[in-house]
Amino acid sequence: MNSTLGYGLVLAGLLCAVFAAVVGIATGLSRREGALPWVQRAMYGFAGAMVLSNLVMVKALLEHDFSVKYVSQVGSRATPTEYTIVSLWSSLEGSILFWGAIMGLYLFAFTWIYRREHGRYMLLTLGTMAAVAVFFSFLIAGPANPWPAIPNPPADGPGPNPLLQNHPLMIIHPPMLYLGYVGMTVPFGIAAGALLRGELGDAWLVPLRKWTLVPWMFLSIGIILGGWWAYAVLGWGGYWAWDPVENASFMPWLTATAFMHSTMVLERKKSLKLWTIALALGSFVLTIIGTFMTRSGVFNSVHSFTQSDIGPTFLIFIALVLVFSVALLAVRGHLLVAESHLGSIVSREGSILLNNLVFAALTFVVLLGTVYPLATEAFFAKKITVGEPYFNQMALPLGLGMLFLMGVGPVLPWGAPSKELLQQQLVVPTGSGVVTAGTCFAAGYRGFMPLLAFGLAAFATVVTVRELFLPAKQRMDEQKEALFTALFRSASRARRRFGGYVVHLAIIAAIVGIAASSAYKTHATGTLRPGETMTVGDWKVRFDGLATGKEPHREYVAANISLTGPSGVEIHRHESLAPRMNFYERSNDPIGSPSVSAMFLRDVYVSLLNFDSKAGTASFNAWVFPLVGWIWYVTIPLLVLGSVIALWPQRRQRPAEASAPAPAVAQGSP
Amino acid sequence: MKKQVAVGSALAVIALVVYIMAKGFGTDPHAVPFLLSGKPAPAFTIKRLDNDQLVSLADFKGKPIVINFWATWCGPCQTEHPVLDWAAKKYANDAVFLGIVFEDNEQNTKRFLARNGWSFVQLFDPKSTVAVDYGVSGVPETYFIDRHGIINHKVAAPFVDPREFAAHMETILK
Amino acid sequence: MTWLALSLVASLTLGQEGYAPQRPVTDPLDAAREARVQRLGKHLRCAVCQGVSIADSPASMARAQLDKVRELVAQGKTDDEIYDYFVERYGEWALMEPRKSGVTLGLWVFPVLLLAIGLYVIWAQSKKGPAPAQQASGEPKAEPKTDDYLAKVRADLEK
Repeated sequence: MNSTLGYGLVLAGLLCAVFAAVVGIATGLSRREGALPWVQRAMYGFAGAMVLSNLVMVKALLEHDFSVKYVSQVGSRATPTEYTIVSLWSSLEGSILFWGAIMGLYLFAFTWIYRREHGRYMLLTLGTMAAVAVFFSFLIAGPANPWPAIPNPPADGPGPNPLLQNHPLMIIHPPMLYLGYVGMTVPFGIAAGALLRGELGDAWLVPLRKWTLVPWMFLSIGIILGGWWAYAVLGWGGYWAWDPVENASFMPWLTATAFMHSTMVLERKKSLKLWTIALALGSFVLTIIGTFMTRSGVFNSVHSFTQSDIGPTFLIFIALVLVFSVALLAVRGHLLVAESHLGSIVSREGSILLNNLVFAALTFVVLLGTVYPLATEAFFAKKITVGEPYFNQMALPLGLGMLFLMGVGPVLPWGAPSKELLQQQLVVPTGSGVVTAGTCFAAGYRGFMPLLAFGLAAFATVVTVRELFLPAKQRMDEQKEALFTALFRSASRARRRFGGYVVHLAIIAAIVGIAASSAYKTHATGTLRPGETMTVGDWKVRFDGLATGKEPHREYVAANISLTGPSGVEIHRHESLAPRMNFYERSNDPIGSPSVSAMFLRDVYVSLLNFDSKAGTASFNAWVFPLVGWIWYVTIPLLVLGSVIALWPQRRQRPAEASAPAPAVAQGSP
Repeated sequence: MKKQVAVGSALAVIALVVYIMAKGFGTDPHAVPFLLSGKPAPAFTIKRLDNDQLVSLADFKGKPIVINFWATWCGPCQTEHPVLDWAAKKYANDAVFLGIVFEDNEQNTKRFLARNGWSFVQLFDPKSTVAVDYGVSGVPETYFIDRHGIINHKVAAPFVDPREFAAHMETILK
Repeated sequence: MTWLALSLVASLTLGQEGYAPQRPVTDPLDAAREARVQRLGKHLRCAVCQGVSIADSPASMARAQLDKVRELVAQGKTDDEIYDYFVERYGEWALMEPRKSGVTLGLWVFPVLLLAIGLYVIWAQSKKGPAPAQQASGEPKAEPKTDDYLAKVRADLEK
């Protein structure tokens, strides 16, 4: 029953998508706008069918309907309800079905918001997006179908992958990542539609930028949550390992970030058109390549799904999209010629050019490092590994370059700056940078790269904060407004600028967290008897003995510990807060879960390596990571705040002074 | 002209990337390379599980040797048990069969052997040092060593078919 | 203490077949040599994991490999000799970062090449001098900072 209904809905979605793609592109190219309402209806139909099909799957999972193939693969009566719902995306077929639902939501939102737009802008755009939807609904209907009915359903299933039901972060991380990945379809559609139509005025630019910012925000959150999850679950004390799947999510993020900077040059200077639009198309292609990396079974990764036969279908799609993009750019290239030269490197546009170069180089490094082992094997039958040390070594100078540009860029005006003004404006930020690095050095922190990172971070922070507050200060001086009012009004007058700088602060916080936690971590390992203590940094870890317990879906052994910091206060980490080993029925190896004591300035991180139940001893890996929490606790809220400010719709008319402020932005302003 | 070059090179890069990824379909990304084939088998001295006597590789000089790395908790190792048993009996006069248990404890193994029986010498590698020396990358793995003490090759998968095992034996018997 | 009673439960439910049993951890070397072990471990790939180094992997087999590194460090072997031990068994696959020779040199050469070309393009661009379009935009130059801001406000309000 569920099986038939769910599959029927998938087929309905596929039909709608095919209709919208064929009619949208055909009538768009022949410039017959009358078909728009039908294309819009087909888009709504696709969205509805996909979302409903997902709801039916959730229902089947909750009912433990093991006659549905996917449920029989990931369902289990012992799994807690929240993880039963999560298992919708915990395995390959379900994740692609879920992908379809998110794509439906995006296409619905886009079609609805622009429902009154003229057909000449919309038909080709909707048609292109629908073409992407055709591919994914074809995948769900064919090679990755989760719906086949099983004639003799089993009484119970194995449950989802244990690693995925070990932490609540796994509930929100994948949807965020998918919202980021799938959302890139929209800017791709907008850019391809404008190119197909051959109208490249400014009309497409604002929606293109905003609809890149939406998936960009989700992608950022998804990436950070993924790192946080790895940190909180995998127990090796790291959050980023340059694994192919992590790289796959990082590449479109890099190109989308570069895109949002290059649009500024495009708007201001009417140049970098070809490059900007190539970045928009490229970000989409990279999301598809990323999906391919995760799901094709070609790449070796901790995160990859089990082997499947959707790889070749995906590769054909990637090739088609790439050739289509290159052809579009080639045919419409004459419309993308710069209308002006760019001047000096020492200018806003120069700094953005350099920023784009750094982002492009980092994207290239990540792609090269990820694909290189495949290439050496294909051409030289030589198996190599390109791992963390390589990527760290390459990313470090590029990352510092970004930080430097993030500080310098906002200071530089467009065009040709005057030297004196520049010098005058750089004194305070540079001074703060030097003082920060010097203070860290005096406090006993050593190492050129981390100190440089802190100095640059202080430099960039001072510049950014000044840019955030300067307009408000002007209002306070000239119009005698209170700080908060002035800040809010100045922010709402230039939301994109204000939001952008808030996002800069978020990224600075992340870089500081990464630099501090990787350069100044302390590590200790040892075997303890109950009551014994080991020291890590200026913290003491006391072992209070083993405890065991049983939960519906797993059994566990917890090594209770107590932590004492420099302040002398003892923190107990017992039972659910203790480092543990979890034993799942489905897995041969116990899965450890570390104990993370998160504080604003440091995390104390203890993972259980091993225990001896007879002797009552336990072996631990313990770390103190300074500032690591900033990467998620500080960065995520700032990043969301900044993106929301930038995305907040502008009122059509110049707002009257008395008009009520939008509450979300008002409360969120720093 | 400039444009043709640009489009041409873009298409070439696409073709290259797609080709590289397509080649990836034929290979297993999890396969771990093994370079000890053709090299002398690393020496070891570890103890027998049945009588705690020390056994060295050198004790079997001049005879072909089959070494099977396994553990009791590993399902496929149990599945291949009958094939290895059969082979150890069949080739009893031509080759030496050694089982090496690693990533396991003695107690588990003894209990397991008492229950299932095992027809050839079982050694215990308490800290997996021998396994590391042999470049083991999974469990079970079977090494075929010729009479000169050179590793001919290893099979990193459980045996299901006796005929398949016999084919591998041929490489070290001749 | 309750842990004793509880540990008995643990040995009953968890000591059975089906799980890889727990293996005692080797004691670390002295601080300086242990730091070297951890650094070398970061550069060596775990044989039974998915692309993780032996220093990072919680797998028991990875700890056995790290023990081997400890043993070789204790014997006074050089970094290269220790890497060679693993390369002999697994090929260059065992190194988390390939050696800078032959085909793998491309990993370092191509990005540098790309950066160089990019910098050249930007430099060539800037040599063309300030564009006429930009002077025609008619912005007063007195206070570029606030003007920039006001212009942006205007631009945003127009949308």
